[in-house]
Amino acid sequence: MITLQINGLEVAVEEGTTLLEAARFLGFPIPTLCHMDGLSPYGACRLCVVEIGEGPRAKLVSSCTYPAQDGLKVRTASSRVVRARKMVLELLLASCPQSKTIQDLASAHNVHRQRFRQEYEDCILCGLCVRMCEEQMMAKAIGFRGRGQTRSIGTPFDIKSEECRLCGGCMYVCPACQLRCTYTEPEKAVCGGCANVSPPCVEKEQFDDMMCYMTPCVACEIEK
Amino acid sequence: MEKLRSIEDFKALQGRLVADRDPSIPTIVIPAGTCGQASGANDLIRVAKRELLDRGLADSIHLRITGCHGFCEAEPSVLIEPTGTFYPKVGIEQMARIVEAVAEDKVLDDLLFIDPATGRAVEKQCDVPFFKSQIRTILARNEKVDPIRIFNYIENGGYSALVKTLANRDPRWIIEEVKASALRGRGGAGFPTGVKWEYLAKQRNGQGKFLVCNADEGDPGAYMDRSVLEGNPHSIIEGMLIGAYATGANEGVAYVRNEYPLAIKHLLIALRQSRGFGLLGEDILGTGFTFDIKLVRGAGAFVCGEETALMRSIEGKMGEPRQRPPFPVEKGINGKPTAINNVETWANIPLIFRVGSKEFAKLGTKGNTGTKIFSLVGKIKNTGLVEVPMGITVGDVVYEIGGGPVGKAKIKAVQTGGPSGGCIPAERFDLPIDYDSLAEAGSIMGSGGMIVMDEKTCMVDVAKYFMNFLKYESCGKCFTCRKGTQRMHEILEDISKGKGTPEHLELLEELAQVVKDTTMCGLGQTASNPVLSTLHYFRDEYEEHIRRKKCRAFVCKELVGAPCEAACPLDTEAWRYVAHIARGRYEDAYQVIREANPFPSVCGRVCSHPCESQCRSATGGKQAIAIRALKRFVTDRVEPSVYQAKRAPGTNGNGTKVAIIGAGPAGLAAAHYLSLAGYKPTVFEADDRPGGMLVSGIPSFRLPREMLGKEIEAILADGVSLRCNAALGRDFTVDSLFDDGFKAVFLGTGAHKSRRLGLKGEDCEGVIPSMRFLKAFNLRGEQLAHGRVAVIGGGNSAIDAARVAVRQDDVESVTVLYRRTRDEMPAFEEEIEAALVEGIELQILVSPVGIRTDGASVSGITVIRNRLGDRGADGRRRPVPIPGTETDLPFETVIVAISEDPDTSSIVDASSQPLEMRVNGTLRADPVTLMTSRPGVFAGGDLVTGPNTVVDAIAAGKKAALMIDRWLRGEELEQPSIARLPDIYVEPVLLSEEELAKADRVPVPVIPAESRKQSVSEVELSLSVEDATREARRCLRCDLEFTQPKEGETARPATVGGTA
Repeated sequence: MITLQINGLEVAVEEGTTLLEAARFLGFPIPTLCHMDGLSPYGACRLCVVEIGEGPRAKLVSSCTYPAQDGLKVRTASSRVVRARKMVLELLLASCPQSKTIQDLASAHNVHRQRFRQEYEDCILCGLCVRMCEEQMMAKAIGFRGRGQTRSIGTPFDIKSEECRLCGGCMYVCPACQLRCTYTEPEKAVCGGCANVSPPCVEKEQFDDMMCYMTPCVACEIEK
Repeated sequence: MEKLRSIEDFKALQGRLVADRDPSIPTIVIPAGTCGQASGANDLIRVAKRELLDRGLADSIHLRITGCHGFCEAEPSVLIEPTGTFYPKVGIEQMARIVEAVAEDKVLDDLLFIDPATGRAVEKQCDVPFFKSQIRTILARNEKVDPIRIFNYIENGGYSALVKTLANRDPRWIIEEVKASALRGRGGAGFPTGVKWEYLAKQRNGQGKFLVCNADEGDPGAYMDRSVLEGNPHSIIEGMLIGAYATGANEGVAYVRNEYPLAIKHLLIALRQSRGFGLLGEDILGTGFTFDIKLVRGAGAFVCGEETALMRSIEGKMGEPRQRPPFPVEKGINGKPTAINNVETWANIPLIFRVGSKEFAKLGTKGNTGTKIFSLVGKIKNTGLVEVPMGITVGDVVYEIGGGPVGKAKIKAVQTGGPSGGCIPAERFDLPIDYDSLAEAGSIMGSGGMIVMDEKTCMVDVAKYFMNFLKYESCGKCFTCRKGTQRMHEILEDISKGKGTPEHLELLEELAQVVKDTTMCGLGQTASNPVLSTLHYFRDEYEEHIRRKKCRAFVCKELVGAPCEAACPLDTEAWRYVAHIARGRYEDAYQVIREANPFPSVCGRVCSHPCESQCRSATGGKQAIAIRALKRFVTDRVEPSVYQAKRAPGTNGNGTKVAIIGAGPAGLAAAHYLSLAGYKPTVFEADDRPGGMLVSGIPSFRLPREMLGKEIEAILADGVSLRCNAALGRDFTVDSLFDDGFKAVFLGTGAHKSRRLGLKGEDCEGVIPSMRFLKAFNLRGEQLAHGRVAVIGGGNSAIDAARVAVRQDDVESVTVLYRRTRDEMPAFEEEIEAALVEGIELQILVSPVGIRTDGASVSGITVIRNRLGDRGADGRRRPVPIPGTETDLPFETVIVAISEDPDTSSIVDASSQPLEMRVNGTLRADPVTLMTSRPGVFAGGDLVTGPNTVVDAIAAGKKAALMIDRWLRGEELEQPSIARLPDIYVEPVLLSEEELAKADRVPVPVIPAESRKQSVSEVELSLSVEDATREARRCLRCDLEFTQPKEGETARPATVGGTA
């Protein structure tokens, strides 16, 4: 067993436990986007950063990938952590303002504006779909291509993959391209998966539930 | 070749090789690394081979082809052993002569390196300044070894270190030695190599361990790893073998980027050779030790230099970093323990065992031992690879080894560590180069790139460049690194395009900090460094881009527009009038000149022409357009009446009275533009005539009085009243002006008080302050100088005084004495040149220390010789007196022209409300609004800046007029700036290829030097029509990028009056 301190509380965990698991075990909330139980940790979204170490050696690490170590002192909501998370959310809002998942997270962290040039992208490259496809569906139909600014996810050469069984697992796990915020016009909801207006997979009666319920709505505020 | 089966076999071979070698045989060494080959080393080699064969010298002269020696600036070069003679930049036609000279044991003096500091030829390589201050423990071996001949390496002591460690049979001893040497990883992070090895050695050896040589050198402008691999691949192999023996590793990988074909080739040959000799592979030298190295080519991703990404790349996966821990020494390639070291680290290992760890640790400083190779590139005289001991200062590398800036430019900063590093400003050049000091200064050691930047480098542009690099080279896994670098680039681009706001800066800093904080690998954590360090040291440049919409380095296109216009304090559209001259439309040209400047003829003669120093024609070995001469050409040909001043139709001023004090260029310009705006300016002048420094300071042979008089006359005739012989403090005060109904006051009284030397005897007869001397001659025609004349100083007034003195009747000789060298003289280069032509002598590096008198008058001065010492904050080297070099020089007249100060005592006393002064004796005025500490009182010109140029004074007057207008109308004085971009299209004249090839700056015609001394008539003459047209057509027309109409668009009319 490994003993470490999280926000001053001591906790003993098994070797191989990540800081995220340890913190959640103690009930400390840590927001995540690219993490999902059952998929291997990846550390792409950087939302789950926590502060470890002390003094000048203190640093932020992604809790989903960092292994618990004996005697480690972890802070899950220090001012440095909060500042970083807010900036991450601001960057996310600047790129994918219509993702409900991101809106909820931003709203929960009191981020109501973003100061960058507004983009409307569909993907935050969290890699959940890639891992889902590989680790749970054993298909490896999609993967990352390119690096930096030109990085993207897709099938090899962008042609229909024979490995793909159209299971939909990739869409199921996606935090950005699921049902998108349509502001106050639910009938315009577009399903990220099939790109259908009024998607057939959603019952007509449920359209009302897709109505924007956030007050204030982050995307609407940005729209203004 | 037979495999070597034991250590004894190897020693026997080495002994044989050494015994066979005759070091007295002359050897021609030609460096042919990638850099050498690119500059033509292969041709040299071919010629040298043929010459040696043709002359039958193949046995008596050896030829060795090696890797890069480091002095890339001098490539292709030739080194002769054993004499050490060094020939830089050798052409193929000179190679035959060199072979002949070597055969005859001669030195070709005309081909030797010329030291730019002394102008003397340097024969031996070790005496060349570039090499002299280096300690080349690693690079010097490149000279000795032909990289594709293992015999060469062995004969020079190669693999002896391996044999030593194998013979010792104790891996722990090796690790202890490396730890004792305190070698730190040369890849940039500086982790102690011995400690890393110790970790690896402790790992259980289940399925094997890996050693990796990281040669994925991707920093722009850094290529030391390439040089070592190309020039001495066996040293890397030897280093890795020692490491493997110490740590128990059995597999080695050299990860070389595919962009280094020569390095890959040489390394592959070296691997094959050492395997063939039994130095690599199974049972090495019969000791039972097994280790092999395979070469993996990197596909060119910068991030693969990061160790975890590198390992994934070796595994054949996407180059993407992963979380550490677990560290590679625990879980590396394919899950096996792995230690990764940089090329340079590996190259240091054999050295440690050759000289011993104690000896090795003597170099450098405590905790930072040994040497480090830097690739010194950028705006510097000597570019190349330099190897220096750790702890040497940045300044030593830049100035001593690098030879300082190119030309008269001033070095601003050095970027270390490439895109992950930061910049170090010139003020901090005393910083020692070691891992910790650089990190503390906000940069990193990195792999050793060192990019030198001068004042023509824009720091915002630098940050933008690196961010552009990183946004493509980030792997893209961490959201903050991928998006953060894109967003930082976006913000920087906005700023450089003039769209920046103060909020941009705030956001940039916040983002940079978060990117640094939240990313996983070294790339992301250091990606913000270029932004953060430039923001830290050059925040004023960012703010200038945002608030003033100015780029002081003239780099950011959208802020600069046409550089000639941006450089002009008066915003004169030089490109536009030059374009008109090219088309022969001189009246249009005059309109453009006159609109911006009420003194066109004056500026056509004596302007300091900042436009020419920024002219883009002056790049690539060509010269700037002679803009000033062209301006004069126009003013000589066009009647001033062509220009009708545009008065604001609603006349803002309504005849409000404004007082201008001082009828110099600043005061007259202010009066002129106030009059145009409808005010009633009155100019008060203490002297008996207007003109200020233009009439009293500048001699008539530079500025003819008739022409000057006309221009002043024209200004006065246009609604400006003048009151001469009215001095502030004596005849009126600032308060009395306000009492008399003046609503605003502009102070432009200039700087007329010559600074004193502070020596005894300065008040005796014959010692004359330069201003008194010039005024006496220029205003009253009095000749104060006689006999032998000394002028002390190196500024424009010193040169003016000297040129006036040489024209006086009783003068025998004129000598200008300056304390530094000619390069540091603040006077305009063309004036110095003219003075020398007129027979004025220039003595440099001397300072007066005493004045000798003969009764009441001066008989000479005592001077002391100086040498150039350290560099001051302005980058100029300080003069340091050499004790015991005092000499007496006889002079009958001594003119003191070391600088001028404004006479501010009368001004301060003349105001009941305080007027603030600066410590240097000038009046304090807001740089933007020109307002002094007393509301309603504005000031400009030399009074505020100290002695300065005519054009700056006119600009200050023009700006003051604008500010006074705003002030009197109750407007905000400081208004948002917008970048001035060219917006009027003038059709260019197309040149034929021959015309283009021939085009070179026209010389300005002058009257012959012999006839000058007898007269005070103007020295420079006007250009001929042909010359002017040719010169104007040479203009590159930077404006067209902004003004050229797109297809289907109609251009704005080209002429002011619309009469195209």
